[in-house]
Amino acid sequence: MVSSPSSSPPSPVYLPDGDFDLVKILIVGPFGIGKTTAIETVSEIRSLHTEEPMTQAAASVDDLVVDGKTTTTVALDFGRITLSGARIVLYLFGTPGQERFRVIWDEITQGALGALVLVDTRRLDASFEVMGLIEEAGLDYVVALNRFPDTPEHELALVRSKLDLEDHTPLVTCDARDRTSVLDALRTLADHLVSRAGAELP
Amino acid sequence: MSRGQGRRLVPSYLAPGGSSAPTRNSLQALTVLIATGLSASPHHTPAQQRLLDLTAKGPLTVAESAGYLRLPMGVGKMIASQLVDDGYLMARAPLTGLPDGIRTPGAEQPTKSLLERVRDGLLAL
Repeated sequence: MVSSPSSSPPSPVYLPDGDFDLVKILIVGPFGIGKTTAIETVSEIRSLHTEEPMTQAAASVDDLVVDGKTTTTVALDFGRITLSGARIVLYLFGTPGQERFRVIWDEITQGALGALVLVDTRRLDASFEVMGLIEEAGLDYVVALNRFPDTPEHELALVRSKLDLEDHTPLVTCDARDRTSVLDALRTLADHLVSRAGAELP
Repeated sequence: MSRGQGRRLVPSYLAPGGSSAPTRNSLQALTVLIATGLSASPHHTPAQQRLLDLTAKGPLTVAESAGYLRLPMGVGKMIASQLVDDGYLMARAPLTGLPDGIRTPGAEQPTKSLLERVRDGLLAL
């Protein structure tokens, strides 16, 4: 789902005083997977939204048809969490991560710590493209199965094998509407990134 | 970069302090924009004035500024870089250990201690 901007932008919430390190984690996955919901669930600011141009080559194949009108922009949503004790401001950037999004993909992945890849068990293949791009960018990631109310229980092992995940890549379930659930997925990712730090890149 | 009063009396291409690289190439989504105290002038475009008004009240990242001003990130970055070059805004790199606004090639890999701080910070929530 491409969320449309509300009528007026939220009031600015400025950065905290002092020397904070600003870092970002990507939340990626296909349209309608709940990226924006996940960000809104944990963000301390109302999630922000920019419309980014995408390559024209995409226009014929994309699914961004809103009211019969094909859009030529892709929404980028982001929010932030201040980790006061750690002197960190953590940004969460939600992006579909597709080839046609190349225009700002490099910008978004630049300096990112890692990615949370949201996956819907009913359409696993919709996540292949973004997983490829994340791997290409050299980012470590955690796969989070986004639970919808009618999602049947799946064997995690089956999903893991269908997604062809590496042994070290964590696979968790996540309800994008539940703060604890999203935070737990982020904690798993942070844990994974720490353990991968210094590991040889393949 | 000086915080002197009045408009800096050097051409904008000298403002980065002798660096020939335009600021827009070093601004990142999470570069922090900080007001220098110079207020908007009549020669500024409406978009530049809105960015100066926004950041006059506190520091914000390039990404957030673009979001509040309803601009694509690339456009926000372009406007910000001009204002940085002209001395109306200061740019602070996302990580405090790095020099102002400079993107250091090869320094992208997050350190283990940074990742540990993120992990511990998330656990403490």
